[in-house]
Amino acid sequence: MKVIFISILFSLVALASDATIEVIKQSQRMPSLAVEDSTDSYDKSLNKKFFKAIVSDLKVLSIFNVSNTYVKNDFDDDVDVINMKKDIVIKYSLEDNDGSTNVNLKIIRGKKAIFQKRYKINRTSLYIFVAHSMAYDINKVFGSNDVAWMKRKVVISRLVGRGESEIVLTDYTLTYQHVVVRGGLNVFPKFLNNKQNEIVYTNLSGLRPTLFKLDTLSGKSQKLLTSDGLLICSDISDDGKEALLSMAPNGQSDIYKYNFDTKKLKRITKYKGIDVNAQFMDGNTIAFVSNRLGYPNVFQKNLDNNEVDQMVYYGKSNSACSAHNEYLVYKARESKNAFSANTFNLHLISTKSDFVRRLTASGVNDFPRFSKDGRAVLFIKNYKNQSAIGVIRLEYNKNYLFPLNIGKIQSMDW
Amino acid sequence: MNKTLLLASTLVAILILSGCGAAEPTIDDTAGDDKKTEVPTDVQTESVGSDDIVVGEETGASSDNAKTNDTSMSALENKMNPIYFDYDKFKIKTSQEDSLYSNVKMVNGDAKNFMIKIEGNCDEWGSDEYNYALGLKRANAVKSALITQNVKAGRITMVSYGESSPVCNDKTQKCWSKNRRVDFKLLP
Repeated sequence: MKVIFISILFSLVALASDATIEVIKQSQRMPSLAVEDSTDSYDKSLNKKFFKAIVSDLKVLSIFNVSNTYVKNDFDDDVDVINMKKDIVIKYSLEDNDGSTNVNLKIIRGKKAIFQKRYKINRTSLYIFVAHSMAYDINKVFGSNDVAWMKRKVVISRLVGRGESEIVLTDYTLTYQHVVVRGGLNVFPKFLNNKQNEIVYTNLSGLRPTLFKLDTLSGKSQKLLTSDGLLICSDISDDGKEALLSMAPNGQSDIYKYNFDTKKLKRITKYKGIDVNAQFMDGNTIAFVSNRLGYPNVFQKNLDNNEVDQMVYYGKSNSACSAHNEYLVYKARESKNAFSANTFNLHLISTKSDFVRRLTASGVNDFPRFSKDGRAVLFIKNYKNQSAIGVIRLEYNKNYLFPLNIGKIQSMDW
Repeated sequence: MNKTLLLASTLVAILILSGCGAAEPTIDDTAGDDKKTEVPTDVQTESVGSDDIVVGEETGASSDNAKTNDTSMSALENKMNPIYFDYDKFKIKTSQEDSLYSNVKMVNGDAKNFMIKIEGNCDEWGSDEYNYALGLKRANAVKSALITQNVKAGRITMVSYGESSPVCNDKTQKCWSKNRRVDFKLLP
């Protein structure tokens, strides 16, 4: 009996730690939450934008039933009569402070202020990052799983014409947008470090594909590598010292490892077909996409030997992936007809279990990227003529989409 | 003694005040103990996105000579045919052989003094690296065909644009098939 009990306990622990099947059960009723704008005198259009931004962020937290109703109310007064029955009320106010902007936050639960904080920004164009920081703090106050990924910058390559794209610094909702590279075809940007102040990207406008490094603070640009045919930075190690590249110096796309300090290149795969999209996994292992079975699929390789193992057994054309420790999210074509409506979906697997969890339900879902903590997945969704960034909350099994107004998203990193 | 005491008190006061300032974010005393003033780190460092930093593409100065060359190259380029491919394939189809050999004739004839840039392209079904590699495979298939027709490998460079350089943007099979192609460009 004891043995059975211990076995069940071990199984439960094992299952609970497997993100491919762990989805936090939604309670029957999430706490109701309303937002009140307490701004006295400020740019009214920004007031409304800020209200929409914070409401959107609070919905993405997935732990509240958030009201969309816009309510004005004084910061120090009781909650508005319309929100008397809400479990939680968030009050904010924007105020000018000698050219910079202060944003005040107050969380009220049961008529009692349980948290207050003030945020400062030097330029109003950064208001969305204050909304993200506020949502992060509100989430923390209520003890939910960390959402630090919300505050991170996102870098995208935005196609604006035939053979023309821009590298844009943005946030996960695509609200803040600042072009840092313009002119020509610039693709596959990646943040070089955790500070997110340097990026690498491929420029395809010259004679050969060229990998550039750009300091986004100073604007200083440096040419790193050139290769005939193909040169893409697929992944960068957590310490920012090494990169996995897809390169084709002889017309053959293979995986290479590049050290930013020593400038040394090491060829990792030697296959006459296609090897691309390498991702660092836990230990000394990489995941990558290859057509060595005659169609694109995801494989893994230990960097110390030549053994290659198939990782994915579900999906007909698995041409993109992202890895976080033992987890892998990949893109798969599920329909028989390559051009049918329900074409590409994202799936999550773990190297420690056989479960496959489908993360998206319809449309063309592409370019998955795990957050640094592995709790969320960002992806590109293209539907009809609309390009959007999607965020998947793995713990809550919820997806949120943020459309791009102009252009098409080619690739991104965060 | 009094002077020493005064000096010591002043130093302690300075240390306490400076210590508080360094360890804690600015406190808004008017708002009660639990009200903090914070400048979010990511926002503060967002000067990354300062609006005046934009890296543009470098463009070289052009001379009259270069313009003449450009005209000649453009005229020849316009006469060269795209080579079309099937979905997820990089084998040159029999139906494309006439187009290819017409290009070979040009490359070995009027365009014999120019470098050749072979550009691989794909349809919109995927913005991932695999699509770029597929475009490169198509370019490489054309390069191999040129080499067998006595075009020197040293004259040829390749690039893949993946799905980033479509000639057609409609959501139809016919349109997608136009984007699965290899283009020929000439370089001085």
